[in-house]
Amino acid sequence: MAIQAAVGRLPETPSQVINREKIVDFVFDGKTYTAYEGDTIASALVAAGVMTFSRSFKYHRRRGLLCAAGACPNCLVQVGDEANVRSCTTPVQAGMKVEAQNAMPSLDVDVMSATQLVDSFLPAGFYYKAFIRPQALWPTYERFLRQAAGLGKIDPDSEPGYFDKIYKHVDVAVIGGGPAGLRAALAAAKSGARVILMDDQSSPGGHLRYRMDEIDGLPAYEYVAKMAAELVGFSNVEILTNTTAVGRYDRNWVGAVTGNRLIKLRTKALIVATGAYEIPLLFENNDLPGIMLGSAVQRMIHLWGVVPGARAVVVSANRRGLQAALDLIAAGVHIEALAEMREEPDADLIRKLSAEHVMIFKRTTIKRAWGIGKVQGVSLESLHSGQIHEFPCDLLLVSTGYTPANQLLFQAGGKLRWNEQIHEFTLDMLPSDVFAAGEAAATHLLEDIEREGELAGLQAAQFAGFGGKIEKVTFLAAKVEERRAERIPWTQIHIAEDEAKKDFVCICEDVTRKEIKQSIQEGFDSVELLKRYSTVSMGPCQGKMCNINAIHVCAHYNQKTVAETGNTTSRPPVTPVTMGALGGRLMEPVRVSPMHDWHVKHGAVMMNAGLWKRPDHYGDPSAEVRAVRERVGLIDVTPLGKFHLRGPGVPGLLERVYTNRWQKLDVGRVRYGLMVTEEGVVLDDGVTARLDDDFYYMTATSSGASGIFENMEWNLQSGWSYDVHLLNVTDLRAAMNLAGPRSRDVLAKIIQGVDLSNAAFPYMSVRQATIAGIPVLLLRIGFTGELSYEIHTPSGYGLHIWEALLKAGEEFGITPFGVEAQRILRLEKGHIIVSQDTDGLTNPFEAGMEWAVKLDKQDFTGKASLLMANQKGVTKKLVGFEMPDGTIPEEANQIVRPGNGPIGLEIIGRITSVRRSPTLKKVIGLCWLPTEMSEPGQEFTIRVRGQMKTGRVVPLPFYDPDGLKLNS
Amino acid sequence: MWKLIRHGLNGNKPLPRMWRTHDLKDSYDVVIIGGGVHGLAAAYYLAKYHGITNVAVLEKRYIGSGGSGRNTTILRSNYLTPEGVAFYDESIKLYENLSVDLDFNVLFSQRGHLTLAHSDAAVRTMRWRAEVNQIQGVNSSLIYPDEIAKLCPHLDLSEHPRYPILGALYHPPGGIIRHDAVVWGYARGADERGVHIHQLTEVTGINVENNKVISVQTNCGTIKTGMVLNATAGWCSLICDMVDVKLPITSHPLQACVSEALKPFLDVVIVSGSLHVYVSQSDRGELVMGASIDPYQSYSLDSTLGFLESLSGHMLELFPSLSRVKILRQWAGVCDMTPDYSPIMGFTPVEGFVVDVGWGTYGFKAGPVSGKRMAELIATNRTPDLIAPFYLGRFEDGALIGEKGAASVGH
Repeated sequence: MAIQAAVGRLPETPSQVINREKIVDFVFDGKTYTAYEGDTIASALVAAGVMTFSRSFKYHRRRGLLCAAGACPNCLVQVGDEANVRSCTTPVQAGMKVEAQNAMPSLDVDVMSATQLVDSFLPAGFYYKAFIRPQALWPTYERFLRQAAGLGKIDPDSEPGYFDKIYKHVDVAVIGGGPAGLRAALAAAKSGARVILMDDQSSPGGHLRYRMDEIDGLPAYEYVAKMAAELVGFSNVEILTNTTAVGRYDRNWVGAVTGNRLIKLRTKALIVATGAYEIPLLFENNDLPGIMLGSAVQRMIHLWGVVPGARAVVVSANRRGLQAALDLIAAGVHIEALAEMREEPDADLIRKLSAEHVMIFKRTTIKRAWGIGKVQGVSLESLHSGQIHEFPCDLLLVSTGYTPANQLLFQAGGKLRWNEQIHEFTLDMLPSDVFAAGEAAATHLLEDIEREGELAGLQAAQFAGFGGKIEKVTFLAAKVEERRAERIPWTQIHIAEDEAKKDFVCICEDVTRKEIKQSIQEGFDSVELLKRYSTVSMGPCQGKMCNINAIHVCAHYNQKTVAETGNTTSRPPVTPVTMGALGGRLMEPVRVSPMHDWHVKHGAVMMNAGLWKRPDHYGDPSAEVRAVRERVGLIDVTPLGKFHLRGPGVPGLLERVYTNRWQKLDVGRVRYGLMVTEEGVVLDDGVTARLDDDFYYMTATSSGASGIFENMEWNLQSGWSYDVHLLNVTDLRAAMNLAGPRSRDVLAKIIQGVDLSNAAFPYMSVRQATIAGIPVLLLRIGFTGELSYEIHTPSGYGLHIWEALLKAGEEFGITPFGVEAQRILRLEKGHIIVSQDTDGLTNPFEAGMEWAVKLDKQDFTGKASLLMANQKGVTKKLVGFEMPDGTIPEEANQIVRPGNGPIGLEIIGRITSVRRSPTLKKVIGLCWLPTEMSEPGQEFTIRVRGQMKTGRVVPLPFYDPDGLKLNS
Repeated sequence: MWKLIRHGLNGNKPLPRMWRTHDLKDSYDVVIIGGGVHGLAAAYYLAKYHGITNVAVLEKRYIGSGGSGRNTTILRSNYLTPEGVAFYDESIKLYENLSVDLDFNVLFSQRGHLTLAHSDAAVRTMRWRAEVNQIQGVNSSLIYPDEIAKLCPHLDLSEHPRYPILGALYHPPGGIIRHDAVVWGYARGADERGVHIHQLTEVTGINVENNKVISVQTNCGTIKTGMVLNATAGWCSLICDMVDVKLPITSHPLQACVSEALKPFLDVVIVSGSLHVYVSQSDRGELVMGASIDPYQSYSLDSTLGFLESLSGHMLELFPSLSRVKILRQWAGVCDMTPDYSPIMGFTPVEGFVVDVGWGTYGFKAGPVSGKRMAELIATNRTPDLIAPFYLGRFEDGALIGEKGAASVGH
């Protein structure tokens, strides 16, 4: 394996962030490279002379480092199992395995790049116009097209890694640690506000970190470091570096990401000082490796001591472009020519450049670049005369304009407006708790940036309640206003009359000017439609690089102004965020009863029941059924919904939420209750016991518990004045059901304070008693059809009572039983399970529960619908059935008869529950049938695994029809 | 294909406009409010099958800017009720032939659709759907983890997850499509046949005399017409308010997002009702993901962070190896929810005012069939049998349709 040494580094300077003492090796596309600690993957590769970083999305063209700011798609690489990593912002780590993306088979030899040879046959919207006929071949074409798309790869064995969330609350949050953000944070901090400053780089400073211009007698990077140092001194300030704010949501809820952490921040006032993106120019071959933005070159030189070329051509349209040219000269790069798009560039810098004998062309732009695999030369074109000058070069530095990084402001509700004075979009109508400063507000001159920062800091602090300096604010606001009116453009956009070859507006998606022109010709002439049809701005950069050029090109071909053309919607996140960071640790709680560990220890097979874990069975469910029928069994029913209702208004509330009557329930009695929706659909059932004059205890199904609680709360809060205090005690109470003919004998051994005799404590009544010194609530009810007691106790004592019951029951052969046995037991007794035997349309009349509906009582939830349903009559019924031939159908098998359907069948009903009954020794179940077929003895056909089987209607319940067991 | 080669050889002469712009006429035979797939399909079929071409489609923004351009492009017909199955099955069949019919490739990818079951109850529901589907002639079956693993090896099929995967409803004809292309294709087809498409044209009022529609007011002028079709999805209640037609509809936001582009690894559509997730990988390589509607009513198109958090968490439950995949973009739409998760289609008490609304989270799947049948309704002045169950009066008659189990998160 060839080892390539880190070459081409400049001498050490204080602005550099690399530690030359520490050398780290990493692998890129199978080759080992050497880097310094502090290098990014990109800086190390550029230092080693690598120019091609990736292959482009559509044409597989070579792409090199362009923005070095994490915005553009060019340097996306695969790092291990992580796809689409921005190599320009990702620090190198020893042993890192980096691979180029979208290269087939390799970065240097990519067969797919042949597509660009036929690009005139690939117009905008190519896919929509091709592969239509023959229709049968489309799936084949599609497979090929899919393989060609996409960038990075997924490793199915990738370890999820640890991700988590951080919560923050502050008075003032400042996003961006450049000069505007630092000034803002300082001003807010001095006002006494709690401040957080976030910056996506390893240290604050923004663009000044890599600029040499002298400010107040100091180089820019030192000047800004001093500012940052002052901020560190404030105890009410927290500085978060390597932290990217990705979204501003409703009411200043800010999402930010740092490493594997999502920060969720609520701030009273938000200052957006996120700077600006430098944007590329449009010209032929504007995507060749070796073409870099000015800020990227400056970052390379000043942060990592890397010089990305030897002979450069510079295209400039503002001070920073000229400054970058001076930086190149200082780094030993020969400047072949400098094209300055402005008529009258900054005289001071031009003087300095002239002194270095740089050939300067004013009012000149770039027409085309050329080269094989990298830039080898450029043609400059005078905007006055059209005269062309050609120069060879290995680096083209483009520094011709900016677009504000104002996505957070847009998300906050700001309205974008094209500002013709400065050739940038600015925002107004910001909400009162959001402030913008500096380059994010399209202000580029340092002293103005700092003033705007200070003003925003004071205003934000004032908004957050840390006021005072009203005069200062007034003064600064006036000055900012005045200076904004005097701003000059830092951005020049020259849209040539005609498109050129391979002039990419969108480098993410390989969209050229020609494709945009074609799209507009075809009618996609609004920016939003243009975006969707041509896919311009829909790639990894989300428009950061291309949006401004795309809008200008759109305006050009529509013969409209940019202001008329408008902008597309900028959507969160500002930069892509991993699903790991967003998801964090999975917060899906597991709910277990206090007896859970006992179940596990005793061999229970657990099942999910909503959030709960419940024992499905301990051993053979049939044996558990027999134990209950013949002796006694114990089941954990803790997941039942359990509610305390207190107050004189309880009967009224119960009358409203239940379909049956509640005005006359004596203390000590229990009643079954049924709930329906407003549409009259069966919603839930349970029992309610009256414990005292004003104290009721309600249970609901396990799955319905939280919904029923919300429903009752809604009733209490929605205009009816029930004097009721409602408490959800589901988690506070353990519950178990002791069922079987010997259950009274078991209880008698250990219970105090209650007469268990049938006369004193009959079916459907409730008593308060103690077991082993613990207070319990005893409800004599029975889902299983046997004599049984539901025992409710504070959850802390659940296990204690459970074990006491088992011990007391030993001599009677007590057996714990699980959900499966309970399902069989209840089926034998013909009890329905809401939402298994009923569905989203079932009314109580169809479910055979008309006895639980009192249509003559005053209004209750669903009454109007039930009145209507009652009038219409019942067309289908839930009935019991058995299988004469012993076949066990599957639940949800359909009941059919011959019909006109595609397989000659018509659906007339379905099986909802079915089991083989160990008690009755036959297959029994519940099913829906048309009313006319629902009489006992009638037979019907079930489609079971494609076969036709016969079922027969039988009366319900299957077991103990007279209820003798329950009442025994 | 030949057209493209000819175009390439011609030095890329300008391509014809797919739809033209027109001045608003004083009157149209039919005014369709809403330039999404439903409205444009109705216009297309009115012109194509019924010769009614004096039609205006009014769109307040740009065509496809509502739910048609915001959905997650999943198509399927494995519904629960016979009414639902028959209706969506016709929709799928229209979609299958749409590229040829419109001469515009809508990139329909019938790659298979899996609805996961994480509980006994869910397995039962999936079996119910499979049984209904099979009897109705729809390709659909209940499959178990070994078979799921073959179709989607990246899913975590172990017993470790909080909600292990116990089975799935497998629907091979289900898949995804390029949603915008469907909109553009219908727009072009309608335009070619003489329909006027008016973008940036917002309806501000509808005039009714003697309980009959007489004209529609817009920000660009007033149009005389005796027939208005409301196809405005999330905003349908606002339009119906203009003629005092009350709908049992609430509008809720529904959010979605996409990841960065990845090489293809997910070949089927995966839906998990329990985890409120549906996901597919587009032909561009992006994961397109969505969840269930937001629980609150709103017309807001703002996204929330909470959506990204819960969706990502649930995605990683299903696909633990995707933790370093990045979300690129999120957005929201507005859904018009009905109490029974089925649409409202047909006549209203106001003469000349018909609705195709209540499309909730599943409107895109039904675009073609709705357009075709609403066109038939308008042209013949009678309700086609296929959409008869979806009449507005069913909420007063108590004749609801039980699609909730298959439609609530079932994308």
